[in-house]
Amino acid sequence: MRWRLGYLPFLLLAFSVPLKAQIEPIPTLKVQPIPLPGGDIFLPYGLYNQFFPGPLNQNPPFDPMNADPQGITNFHGVTAMGYTSGFTTDKKFAVVTDIRVYQGDYIGGELADPNTAGATKSARAHGTFVEI
Amino acid sequence: MPNGLFWVVKVPDSAVQISPDGNTLTIHLENVPVVDAFSFPPPVPSNYASDEVDISPYQLIRARTSFDITYTKTPGTTRRIRPSTDDPLSPLNWAGKMWDATNSGSFSVAYDDGTFSASGTFGSSGNFGEMGTERNGFFVHHEEQDDNDGVEAGEQPLSLPRQPANMSQSAAAANTNQPVKFALLKGRVPVRVSH
Repeated sequence: MRWRLGYLPFLLLAFSVPLKAQIEPIPTLKVQPIPLPGGDIFLPYGLYNQFFPGPLNQNPPFDPMNADPQGITNFHGVTAMGYTSGFTTDKKFAVVTDIRVYQGDYIGGELADPNTAGATKSARAHGTFVEI
Repeated sequence: MPNGLFWVVKVPDSAVQISPDGNTLTIHLENVPVVDAFSFPPPVPSNYASDEVDISPYQLIRARTSFDITYTKTPGTTRRIRPSTDDPLSPLNWAGKMWDATNSGSFSVAYDDGTFSASGTFGSSGNFGEMGTERNGFFVHHEEQDDNDGVEAGEQPLSLPRQPANMSQSAAAANTNQPVKFALLKGRVPVRVSH
């Protein structure tokens, strides 16, 4: 059933998938990036902390031209994103993606005092993040 | 993600190469752990009550993906972004200098259980993309000098609307003479697939 539609369904990150060396688990970062406070409300699930930028005069279905393409707040750096389309080599499936790259500095949350329940303080860090 | 980040992973800086002139950005990733959730939002099982709906997909197939993508700025499309609101939840509360961008790349994906694999190529194919530098959150009103580095050739200063535009996600695609089918990557990315 899932493949009858002829599309390669999207991939999204699992919460607890074992991570290989190339990927640094965000939950273990010393400075935790903070999600964008805004985003798109998508019923029935509610708020997703990301916007859906698009070209001029095409909202909907996109958010307004110049909607923030970032998924992380307190960020200063390079952003690249794009919607793509293509096909698998065997032409059985159409493939569409929305892959975004963020590289730069961010202010996130760092453990302020280990003698607490885990209270945070703001801290600056650098990193490269990819939204797949 | 439990922390609210939307399908974001952290990768080494070396996975990304930016050309000296800043016009292209290439990313190379191998064996990134992902899951296939089949649609977005994930379908709610019929035996779930409405108050049991969560943001987490219910059916996830572990997989690995590898891909290379190159993003390329489109000359003459520079936009200087200025925040048009102080609303922290608005899509227009950020600053930066962005260019329209094309992209192209290749990918492979395989379920961990070996029941499915595929590879292929993709490209922007006229779909929207952009790249540049940006500041949001705390940085919106700090370190502004970093994007006051002169006017690029063909730069088009942009005045943002003061109010966010209609954000409905329910409309159809742009005009086209060809049949259009919406393939919903992550369920909500309406990319035109013409046959």
